[in-house]
Amino acid sequence: MINTHPSTAKAARLGLCALLISVTSLAAQAGSREQALQIHNRIAGVPPSETVLLDMAQHIDNGDTDAAVEMAMNNEGFYSVTLKNMATPWTNRDMNVFAPLNDYTATFIGMVRDGEDIRGLLYDNILYVGEGSGLPAYANDNNNHYEALEERGLPLGDPDTLVKHTQSEVTGLPAEATAGIMTSRAAARAFFYAGTNRAMFRFTLLNHLCRDLEQVHDTSLVPDRIRQDVSRSPGGDSRVFLNNCMGCHNGMDPLAQAYAYYNWEYDAEADPTGEDGRITYNREGEVEPETGTRVVPKYHINANTFRYGYVTMDDGWDNYWRKGNNRVLGWSNALPGSGEGAKSMGRELAHSDAFASCQVEKVFEQVCLRQPGSAADHQLIESATDTLASNGYDLREAFIATADHCKGE
Amino acid sequence: MTYLRRSLFASFATLAAVMLLSACGSDSGSGVQKNVDPNEDVPTVNYTGPAPQTDDVQQFKLAVWDPLATENRCGSCHGTGGQEPTFVRADDINLAYSQANTVVDLASPASSRMVTKVAEGHNCWQASADACADIIAGYIESWASASGAVVNRVVFEAPNDQDVGSSKIMPSEPGEFSSTVYPFLRDYCSECHTRSAPTAQQPYLGSPSLDIAYEAARTRMRLDAPAESRLVQRLASEGHNCWSDDCQADADAMAQAIADFADSIPVTEIDPDLVVSRALGLGDGIVASNGGRVDSHIIAKYEFKTGKDSIAYDTSGVEPAANLNLSGDVEWMSSWGIRLNSSGADGKAQAATNGSRKLHELLTATGEYSIEAWVIPDNVTQGDGGADTARIVSYSGSNDVRNFTLGQTLYNYDFLNRSSETDVNGLPALSTNDADERLQATLQHVVVTFDPVDGRQIFVNGEFTGDADPLAGAAMEEWSETFALVLGNEVSGSEYAWSGSIRFLAIHNRALSAEAISANFDVGVGARYFLLFNISHLIDVEGAYISFEVQQFDDYGYLFAEPFFLTLDGEASVPPTPVEGIRIGVNGRESPTGQVFAALDTELSTEAMVDGRQTLSGQGAVIELQQGPASDQFFLTFDRLGEHEFVRVEAEPPTPAEPATIEDQPTMGLRSFAAINATLSAATTVPKTHAAVAETYQKVRQQMPIEPQVSGFVAAHQMGVTQLAVAYCSALVSDTSRRSEYFAGFNFNVDVAAAFDSDGRSAVIEPLLRHLLAAEIDGQPLDSQADPDALRTELNGLIDTMAGGGGDVQRANRIVTATCAATLGSVLTLLQ
Repeated sequence: MINTHPSTAKAARLGLCALLISVTSLAAQAGSREQALQIHNRIAGVPPSETVLLDMAQHIDNGDTDAAVEMAMNNEGFYSVTLKNMATPWTNRDMNVFAPLNDYTATFIGMVRDGEDIRGLLYDNILYVGEGSGLPAYANDNNNHYEALEERGLPLGDPDTLVKHTQSEVTGLPAEATAGIMTSRAAARAFFYAGTNRAMFRFTLLNHLCRDLEQVHDTSLVPDRIRQDVSRSPGGDSRVFLNNCMGCHNGMDPLAQAYAYYNWEYDAEADPTGEDGRITYNREGEVEPETGTRVVPKYHINANTFRYGYVTMDDGWDNYWRKGNNRVLGWSNALPGSGEGAKSMGRELAHSDAFASCQVEKVFEQVCLRQPGSAADHQLIESATDTLASNGYDLREAFIATADHCKGE
Repeated sequence: MTYLRRSLFASFATLAAVMLLSACGSDSGSGVQKNVDPNEDVPTVNYTGPAPQTDDVQQFKLAVWDPLATENRCGSCHGTGGQEPTFVRADDINLAYSQANTVVDLASPASSRMVTKVAEGHNCWQASADACADIIAGYIESWASASGAVVNRVVFEAPNDQDVGSSKIMPSEPGEFSSTVYPFLRDYCSECHTRSAPTAQQPYLGSPSLDIAYEAARTRMRLDAPAESRLVQRLASEGHNCWSDDCQADADAMAQAIADFADSIPVTEIDPDLVVSRALGLGDGIVASNGGRVDSHIIAKYEFKTGKDSIAYDTSGVEPAANLNLSGDVEWMSSWGIRLNSSGADGKAQAATNGSRKLHELLTATGEYSIEAWVIPDNVTQGDGGADTARIVSYSGSNDVRNFTLGQTLYNYDFLNRSSETDVNGLPALSTNDADERLQATLQHVVVTFDPVDGRQIFVNGEFTGDADPLAGAAMEEWSETFALVLGNEVSGSEYAWSGSIRFLAIHNRALSAEAISANFDVGVGARYFLLFNISHLIDVEGAYISFEVQQFDDYGYLFAEPFFLTLDGEASVPPTPVEGIRIGVNGRESPTGQVFAALDTELSTEAMVDGRQTLSGQGAVIELQQGPASDQFFLTFDRLGEHEFVRVEAEPPTPAEPATIEDQPTMGLRSFAAINATLSAATTVPKTHAAVAETYQKVRQQMPIEPQVSGFVAAHQMGVTQLAVAYCSALVSDTSRRSEYFAGFNFNVDVAAAFDSDGRSAVIEPLLRHLLAAEIDGQPLDSQADPDALRTELNGLIDTMAGGGGDVQRANRIVTATCAATLGSVLTLLQ
């Protein structure tokens, strides 16, 4: 129960009705102060103090909107509210925005705060960890550290509180096995849990290239890398495979092979949802008895569903989407389009045009509270993507560009 | 250079034998013999002649002679002193054996003249000659496997192949597509199947761009059979978003549009630049051996080959035949099988009680059994566990009594067996583990076994599921001989119907071993052929072929698996020859999808051959069926083969459509739950970590807005905001130092009448407005905020209402809290 005196609550509701009626005149005209308020609200999630408002307005009047946005980005709300809420749905299968802070969201927040190349989100050996007396230490088998960090309301915008580390030093994964947030505990818990590890790929694609598998569907590609567990005749109808399933699996499976050595280890009896599990990675020489290789058994499950399917023997990946319709995702010519392991595959994804524009689109929706819908909006996405690229993929640039675009006129 | 089938025993039917055999046939001039009622008691023949001279003769007697020597089978004509060959003579089994060897091929029982003769209609005792042929083949197979004569090595011979023909090929440009099919797609599919649709769905058939729509549609149209096009089938069979009330009419219109489009396309010769093999059909293939099955204890077997009429024959050869009568919603599959209840629930395939009685007799005699089936469940949503399992195979009397049932509950197989530890309904059932999701809506080999030691066991795709029977040790008990074998339903027809396909069913009167089950799984289901694609003309090596193991995979596709290279001339030498990009062509053009071997890149050579063949891949490709196995012609194309090369020019990807234009999106939106929390904290100066506030936030956060769209605002959101605002304001007003600083000048220690004078009201209202930037700044209000004067008027009115009756200090404080909450819980916080 909420401890509220009945008369207080009643009075509050009465007043609310009145105020809701009285403020229908919220105006759209925007002078520099109004623009400053809008920028601050959208960037930090909270209104500024009068002083900050006036300083921001001054910057805007001086033609330096960037400085005004940067002031808003100094507010803690930018980190603990805006960025946290932006990233939280990426870290679980249900896209639940109410999930607690975790190493995935903390790392995203830290990388934006520090102006890191945001492409490294998918391949850097990086992890942000909290510093503070009494905080439980980072643990591979629970999220207590980050939950405590959040509960205590410690400032995530403070570089002395949320501190950059190498992931290998914190989690013990070999440096070559680290792949940004893809190998964070939260992502592994969500997407390496049970299943076939395809979830890690699908959600990475969804969250960081802004495309679900439906949007990259292309049946023209060679389906030779589709694993044995995919039915070629669902319900006895191979047309369903040829026209639907295959169009996604032909590109996804050879890319998701990059995760072949990772798993989420947990006690299925005592902890069936895997909350207290930990990420595992088969190093050189660590052989799984079921597969006879470093490949985790889940890559060979349901092998009899279609015994003539592809049998994964290593973590070599190939980007089949460099051919066919998905060339439009803009793959980097500087990369070979194939490799071994999650790190290089993450680089392949992150160095695409689609990744860069996706980051801007996500920021746009966060700041403008709507989808890009006009010619001017689309032009902004393009120009902001260019700006992002020319500024070392510092995502703050995208916030600056979109906040300027949506500050009101 | 070529070499035909091998047989361990004197093997081929001689012409003379054939002629003699046919002398007893209906075309021989002799009287036509009446077919025998299979359900009559089968007479038996007691052999009293000389003992078999060898083990093989003894095996022949048990497997072939005993079932065929009776008067109602072959004994009346081919018995002692009868017509040649007298393979069922009763005077001397050794002579009968000798005669039989002239009309059997133990290496390939189905090819035996004894089988093919009956298949041609020679005195079959069933209504279907094929059923009799299968039964006799089974006898010979049984003999051959007991003798160790079945060989799995297939002997290859040159097929009767031909040049690749011509066909209509889908043009690279849309052409008449724009005026035939496209108008339908544009008008009726564009709400979803465009990139700019709010819920964009691939394929983008309805794209405003003709090129994009055509690209998406081209693999979904059949020029040779418009009605078979995916675009038509989606409407006709699946009722997918028909635009009128009549899906069939819509499908017909779409089919006509595709036909019109097809008429506009001239017949095209195959691209002369393609590097192609010779072509052949499935009928030109060499039957892959189905040997290796463990069938020695089969008492009922159904292969569903008939494909017509309403009887599925029991070809086990164990009398009496428990043939299944098909009724209701049952369809034949062209790939051998029956599809049950795909559109209704009244379908079943049921044996007569007297036919089913052999199950009772033969299973209770051994006290153990196995049910082996190849099934394709339609879905993973049917069945409800235990007595409510969806019936796949059942031997039962009603909904509530049974001997056994194999059923489905969602992702699980259920096995009910009546035993000393179960009730009359075979309950409790043994089911596969939920978490394993063993049952999938795809072709699966499922075997359930029962024996008194291990109890019930379930094997899926050749593997034991590991689900132990808690009732192991129970014995079969009180089985009823009055029950009937039924597939896809309960005998009475019921709500327990199962929707799916069965491609094979066998009942064994032994619990099959894990090894036997694995072996039967490995053999697979349905007919398989080796198709030998001649490439001699491309690599200048006589008798050079690339062979695929091909089968009709389901009613809509073929499986081309495990290609290998071979030469039929064992002496031929093959120099290292590069081979890249093998694609499978059907009816004059490359199949557009499923080309698994297009990525192949290797080298053919004599050195790479093992046992006369060079394995090219262990994989398989599913290729869409077009006209059907009787008429589809296949060939291979190569990107490179030896000196021949086809340079594949990849089409430019379609230009991305213009990004969506979304009109009239509001420029303002709702603050999210976390932003509201942070805003209230900032506006009250109470930290978010304040215990009471944090507790309230945890309770109400999911009640507050998540998305910014104002159109998604509901009353529950407001209640959440109100409660949180009250929590913050209560925390503020109950904190004496914080409130003094915040509401500077307000006297919290006097009663209502004294507290809310003009100054007191300002001391309450102004800090609230200021913190929300709703007051004037340097004398000027923000244009985008609410009018400060209007706010003051409303809040004063609110205080008037609350303070009108007076009150003590406590009430005065509550009025401050309420005023604070009314301000903070308002649209000033909610909107941004």
